[in-house]
Amino acid sequence: MKYTHILTGAWILCAASAVYAAGNIPSSPTGFDSSFIQTRTLPGFSVPLVSRGTLHIDNTHGFRWEITSPYHYVFEMDGKNAQERLPDGTIRHLNPEQTPWLATVEHILISALAGDRTDLQRYFVVNVTQLPMGQRILLTPKPGPMANAINNILVTETAPGHPQRLVIKDNSGGSMDIRFGPESHTASGS
Amino acid sequence: MHLPAAARWTIWLASLGVLCGFAWTRLDVQHPINTDILSLLPGERESPVIAAATERSRDAFARQLLVLVSGKDTPQTRSAASAAQGALLAAGLQMDDSGRELGRLLNTYQTHHFALLNAAQTARLDKGGVNAFATDVAASMASPAAMVNVFESDPGGYLSRFISELPRPYPDFLPDGPYLTAVRDHQRYYLVNMELRGSAFAEQGATLAAHAVHDAQAAAHKVCAGCKFQATGASLFTNAARDDAQHEIQWLTIVSTLLIMTLIAFVFRSLAPHVLAALQLVASILAASAAVIAWFGSIQILTLVFGTTLLGIAIDYAFLYFAEYWFGDSAPQSVMRVVRPGLFMGLLTGVVAFAFLSLAGFPALNQIAVFSVAGLLEAGLVVVLIFPVTLTRPPHVAVHPAAVWPQRFIKLACRPHRWRYLLPALALLLAIPGWLRLHTSDDVRDLQHFPQQLIQNDHQIHDTLGQIPPPGYFLIEASDLEQALGREETLFARLRQTLPDATLLGLSRFLPPVRQQRASLSAWKRIFASPLALNRAFAHLGLPVELAMRIESDWRAAAHQPLTAQSLFDAASDLNTFVIPAGSNETLLASVYSRADINPAALRQAAAAVSGVSFVAPLTRITDTFHRIRVRASWLVVIGYLLISALLVWRYGRREALRMLYPPLLALGVTLGALGWLNVPVNIFVLVALILILGLGRDYTVFLREGGAHLQSSALAVTLSALTTLCSFGLLALSQIPALHAFGLATLVGILASYLSAPLSLPTTHGGLA
Repeated sequence: MKYTHILTGAWILCAASAVYAAGNIPSSPTGFDSSFIQTRTLPGFSVPLVSRGTLHIDNTHGFRWEITSPYHYVFEMDGKNAQERLPDGTIRHLNPEQTPWLATVEHILISALAGDRTDLQRYFVVNVTQLPMGQRILLTPKPGPMANAINNILVTETAPGHPQRLVIKDNSGGSMDIRFGPESHTASGS
Repeated sequence: MHLPAAARWTIWLASLGVLCGFAWTRLDVQHPINTDILSLLPGERESPVIAAATERSRDAFARQLLVLVSGKDTPQTRSAASAAQGALLAAGLQMDDSGRELGRLLNTYQTHHFALLNAAQTARLDKGGVNAFATDVAASMASPAAMVNVFESDPGGYLSRFISELPRPYPDFLPDGPYLTAVRDHQRYYLVNMELRGSAFAEQGATLAAHAVHDAQAAAHKVCAGCKFQATGASLFTNAARDDAQHEIQWLTIVSTLLIMTLIAFVFRSLAPHVLAALQLVASILAASAAVIAWFGSIQILTLVFGTTLLGIAIDYAFLYFAEYWFGDSAPQSVMRVVRPGLFMGLLTGVVAFAFLSLAGFPALNQIAVFSVAGLLEAGLVVVLIFPVTLTRPPHVAVHPAAVWPQRFIKLACRPHRWRYLLPALALLLAIPGWLRLHTSDDVRDLQHFPQQLIQNDHQIHDTLGQIPPPGYFLIEASDLEQALGREETLFARLRQTLPDATLLGLSRFLPPVRQQRASLSAWKRIFASPLALNRAFAHLGLPVELAMRIESDWRAAAHQPLTAQSLFDAASDLNTFVIPAGSNETLLASVYSRADINPAALRQAAAAVSGVSFVAPLTRITDTFHRIRVRASWLVVIGYLLISALLVWRYGRREALRMLYPPLLALGVTLGALGWLNVPVNIFVLVALILILGLGRDYTVFLREGGAHLQSSALAVTLSALTTLCSFGLLALSQIPALHAFGLATLVGILASYLSAPLSLPTTHGGLA
């Protein structure tokens, strides 16, 4: 039926889903711990929204994203279940099947953190610049659904698997800049 | 009847012409042949809603062509999918213009996003006010899932969630350009979803689809030789079934025609029987079709198939005449007088038997009754009017020894020998275990034959896609759209409890009820009632106050109206598929998809629990229709046979009539036993074969009885009838198509049994018959 295509199209707008569609989660670090500073720039606003938090990934507990300032917010996901703790303490459960981009985000981050270029190359033009300490990786989405929403993703590493900064620029003019703290720790694994 | 030849031809042609002319004035030119099997069900005609919904559901399913290209290397597989898609487009298939419709649809949702809060979100904002809203905005900003700001004016993420909750076509497949894609068992799959322009069941559409798939496969393999290519769709099944049927019918027709022509030529050594038999056949089919059209306006495809088959009985009348003319003792002018009793009695019993089918109350059986009665009468008319004026000179054909074999067989069988009683008893004894093993089937799927590869592909594709076609659909009826949407939501809520993994498809998934939309708008109205409070709530969480001001400005600029069905359909006309036009009432079509087969009972139960909702399973309805036709027709045949028995008692007396009724019933018993032994189910095709067997068996006994002193010609007529029936219908037992195979097998066994048992209708003689 034609309406199925409409629905398909609707999902194209969930741009990052194409990455999720890559299917296999890349070889992931066994663990990653870091504090971060997130700077969100919204189109039409001169002052960015700055927040602070921590990111924790491990094979047992999955993915935990916690904002500690200016308010408290937690996002947890273990592949099958996902939930949010809102600033007012409300717990909101999310259905990963209904929200594939959640897994997409996890996928991008894990790919980036694990330095899995092969997987990312399926969907991005990967441009690597060597730095005195580490590398700068520019991911430009290949033509397709991702390119409709994301302009580029820049990952700066101090060493393979040790990201220092992740910047996502979207096509609306907004951007998300995440700087990981110096105490970040990555343990490699399968 | 001493009419001159010209008068006879004139009467015959004029009667046929008047009938055809009248039929022409009654013909439904748009649909001369009705192929809708569901219209065979009497209730179906009273429910245009079900007919419209079924047609809509069937069209959507039937036009779809799914192609799955898979391989280990993603770029190569994607290129192969792209090449396949190019070939499919070049062959004339189409892809949807979903891009533009999607843009319009999302713009529409964007325009009305303040009306699209769900009940839980509305309750949260109602309860928590500006603080709850500010919290949602903060969460949306903080969430890693909101890193990509797709909807600029959706800071709370409400519209994103609304979009994300729309039903997804294939749960595990996600978009990649124009395709859907997923990974399964280390293989990358690309789905190319195409649509046929025309009907999948028409020859043109099915052939086009098959050629397009062939081209697409070649194109895909050219790009990626190692990629796997699979395709499925109703059109491919239609094409395969048609190819199979055509191939089989072609060779069976050629073989049977050659056999029959050889037989007639061998016996009569003349062209005349060929010409006259063909004339009788064409005239009877023409008259039968005209009578049906004159009565009903159009003709059912099943009537044509079954009716034409049943008209095979009519050839008996021709053989009766030919046998007496060529090999009887009568002069050409006396042939009609000699065969008339047998001919009229055969005709009378045949007409009575078929007329009884019209009492079934089913359109299909009514049509078959009219078709058969008209066809038999026309066949008789041709014999009575035309044969005597075309076969006027004494034939100069030497009697071949084979022509007297039937008479010898009859005489042999009429000797008062113990085998005359033992053999039938033995046959019946052997048949009894078969009767106990006999079973019925009215499932249309059991009547068809498709290539194994096609079936395998279909299963694999649907397994991979995680979407098994549902067994039916829901109809939600209400006095207005709002009530219908509410009922659909109630139904879906029930289904979510019983089938948590299923995908529910219906208009309410795209268009919230107006009451919910009004509640959503009211919640927002309260949020923006105090801009200062909103600003404070944003500031309290460290969110930019400018953001609150911009959202409030968006609210002021927005039309505070619910999204209407019309606006939705203007944006995405295909969503109108869910609405079935049904007079003053509103009727919605809804469905449910799952990764595994869904038990229709669960769906029926869910529908029964909600007022105005019904579950319709088209396949089950067809099966039920066939079942009811089969059962009712069986009873009518029994009643018709009893009536014929009364006629025979009236004509021949009780003792002789009982003897004449015994062979056809014996043949019927043996046939059913054989079907049981061979594990062939009794279906509607077998029933038609049984009616044919009873009709021919009855003709054999009547012809032999009426033959009397002219045993040689009547025995020859019966033998020729049996042999030609075996050559034409019996050969169908070799068919791979289950429906034809069952019909052919029943006919083969039944006609053999009818012929071999026909002499039992005659009394025993010590020295043989005269």
